Amino acid sequence: MFGSFKVGDKGKIINISKVGRLVQRRLLDLGITEGSEVCVKCVMPFGGPVMIESCGQCIGIRRKEACLIEVERV
Amino acid sequence: MEIALIGNPNTGKTSLFNNLTGSYEYVGNWSGVTVEKKVGVFKNHIGRLIDLPGVYSLNPLSKDEGVVTTYFLEEPVDRLLNILDASQLERNLHLTLQLLEYEKPALIGLNMVDVAANRGIQIDTEKLSQILGVPVVPVVARSGKGCDRLIEVISTNSSHSKVKKHVYYGKEVEDAITKLSIELTGKTDHSPRWLAVQLFEENEYVKNYLSNILETAKLESYISDLHSLLIQDNDHVKSLSNYIYLKRKEVIEKILEASVRKVSTVVPLSEKIDAIVTNRYLGMPIFLICMYLMFMLTFDWLGTPLSDVLDGILTGPVTIGVEKLLGAIHASDFIHALIIEGLIAGVGGVLVFVPQIFILFFFISLLEDSGYMARVALVMDRIMESVGLNGKAFIPMMIGFGCNVPGIMAARTIETPRERLMTILLTPLMSCSARLPVYALFVGAFFVGHKALVVLSLYVLGIVVALVLAKIFTKTLLKSETSLFVIELPPYRLPQIQSLWRSTWDKGKGFVRKAGTFIFAGSVFIWLLSYAGPEGLKVDMDNSFLAAIGNLFAPILEPIGFGTWQAAASLITGFLAKEAIISTMNIIYFVPNDASLQGLLSHYYTPLAAYSFMVFILLYIPCLATTATIYKETGSKKWTMFSILYALFIAYVLCLIIYQGGKLVGLV
Repeated sequence: MFGSFKVGDKGKIINISKVGRLVQRRLLDLGITEGSEVCVKCVMPFGGPVMIESCGQCIGIRRKEACLIEVERV
Repeated sequence: MEIALIGNPNTGKTSLFNNLTGSYEYVGNWSGVTVEKKVGVFKNHIGRLIDLPGVYSLNPLSKDEGVVTTYFLEEPVDRLLNILDASQLERNLHLTLQLLEYEKPALIGLNMVDVAANRGIQIDTEKLSQILGVPVVPVVARSGKGCDRLIEVISTNSSHSKVKKHVYYGKEVEDAITKLSIELTGKTDHSPRWLAVQLFEENEYVKNYLSNILETAKLESYISDLHSLLIQDNDHVKSLSNYIYLKRKEVIEKILEASVRKVSTVVPLSEKIDAIVTNRYLGMPIFLICMYLMFMLTFDWLGTPLSDVLDGILTGPVTIGVEKLLGAIHASDFIHALIIEGLIAGVGGVLVFVPQIFILFFFISLLEDSGYMARVALVMDRIMESVGLNGKAFIPMMIGFGCNVPGIMAARTIETPRERLMTILLTPLMSCSARLPVYALFVGAFFVGHKALVVLSLYVLGIVVALVLAKIFTKTLLKSETSLFVIELPPYRLPQIQSLWRSTWDKGKGFVRKAGTFIFAGSVFIWLLSYAGPEGLKVDMDNSFLAAIGNLFAPILEPIGFGTWQAAASLITGFLAKEAIISTMNIIYFVPNDASLQGLLSHYYTPLAAYSFMVFILLYIPCLATTATIYKETGSKKWTMFSILYALFIAYVLCLIIYQGGKLVGLV
């Protein structure tokens, strides 16, 4: 799961359907969906958002949403 | 001829727009700079270019994206100029495929080819053009490279795409498209195929449009029939829109395979900078240090000395020159007083602060242009989330430091209506540049040793009050669970001096223009009110109409430390424009120069009352232009009234606490 990822960890998304509909749609707009490779770039303190990199672009999403994305380590 | 400029957010549409039309629209490095369509005329007069807000898809999520879909449905579009970010071709092409389905002559500008090349991405434009069936022109919008060629192609080439069907959506969807298209033929000017695909993607705007042609029930049944048909055959289909998305993705992958070559991957500089500015522990302190430096430069190190020089020129040579001129033409006493005591005091008093305001605007432009703005939103999200907002709301608030009007407009990029409304209501609490002259005057008079710190405390107070109110509103008026925070963090780029200056001037010229028009007229009016009284002209100012009006409100202001008619009168004019407060004060306490006005103020205010007065000015009411914008953006008289009333209430209560509390603990 994404929740256990640390800065620098890489993974591949295997299930994104548990994330809220709007967030899912916005991630899809940015090209992030099942099969996308993601890398955690930084994690904000106090449960703040995480910054992830996918296909050469950086995106910020909230920790609780990131935790709903199922990923496998690569 | 109308050409629509369309593309993903932050792909450089506005830069290209400025280059092609010679206009100076506002450019920034974050998603959502353009929230309303803008029209410009091509340099060679071949037609009009429409700059649209950036979208990822024609199926909108937020209000600024809705502007684009509405434009496509309702306005006559002759040609499309689709701009693509060469370094993010994959997701950019999703939009391109939808645009090609719209079946209007199209042209592709491939932007940021330099950025892509740096990342080791090489694009075969010939091949891309061949597959898509439309011309593809590589450009670098920021420097203007390739723009001439783009204009040339737009003017000469008007080809519809040579390829008829870019995406084959599978038999079930294609059958449904054909069936719906037959029903729509002849009843609409738009491509029936485009309408059908958008409908199946659950595009609400298109559905509304189609419900004028067909019954809503019929449309619904088209969607649900197709949905159940698909689910029946493939159990991996999640939703219709997802199915369509995946079909497009397949096509895009093939296009990329044929036209893009990846040479190597280099770690971009952006990531190294990000490791520092969005660092776990350093992110917030770095942001605060940036703000502190900004205020030190604006108020202490650079801005104040420049303002003093300007003040010296205005009160010295300019006043003396005008007086000589007035003497030479034998102007009457009335004209003499009007010009010296009214205009020069009123307008000059505001103009003195131009250097400080330009320095502040320069820094805001720097933040916008570099790409740091989106990082600030990321760093602030945790705090904003805890009060029911999201980090993106911080961008409108930062812009609000310049002027509240564009700040409120920028709230359109916030996707959920509840968070957008909250941001609109709270942005006026951000201390805009027009409030700055008031602070500059008062800190100069009362807090000489700590100018920047006292002013910074006011800015921070505005933010804190906004956050507390957000929390209260979330708990009471605007309860709702949905919140959305997904933000693109664009690569940093080195700001160019030319575009920085242009953007600073763009923001600053409004201030200068206002001084020449609004403040000019206001100063004449205020001076007349102070010159005339119930007993006639040239009365003692304490017996003037202005004093009479001010005296009505003065008793209410007594408990918060400034119960003088002068303060009340200047606060009333402050509703028209915040810098009018300074003009009014300069006229009321007419003295030869700013320095002696500061000396005079100490007779009327104690330092505690002065601070209370500044806090009141920070919060008490959105100015007229802001109120109009709130009304336009919310479309609600109720919320507009609310924004005025809650601000008055909060300002009064807070000043009461500061002034009375301060007196209790022995401050004066």
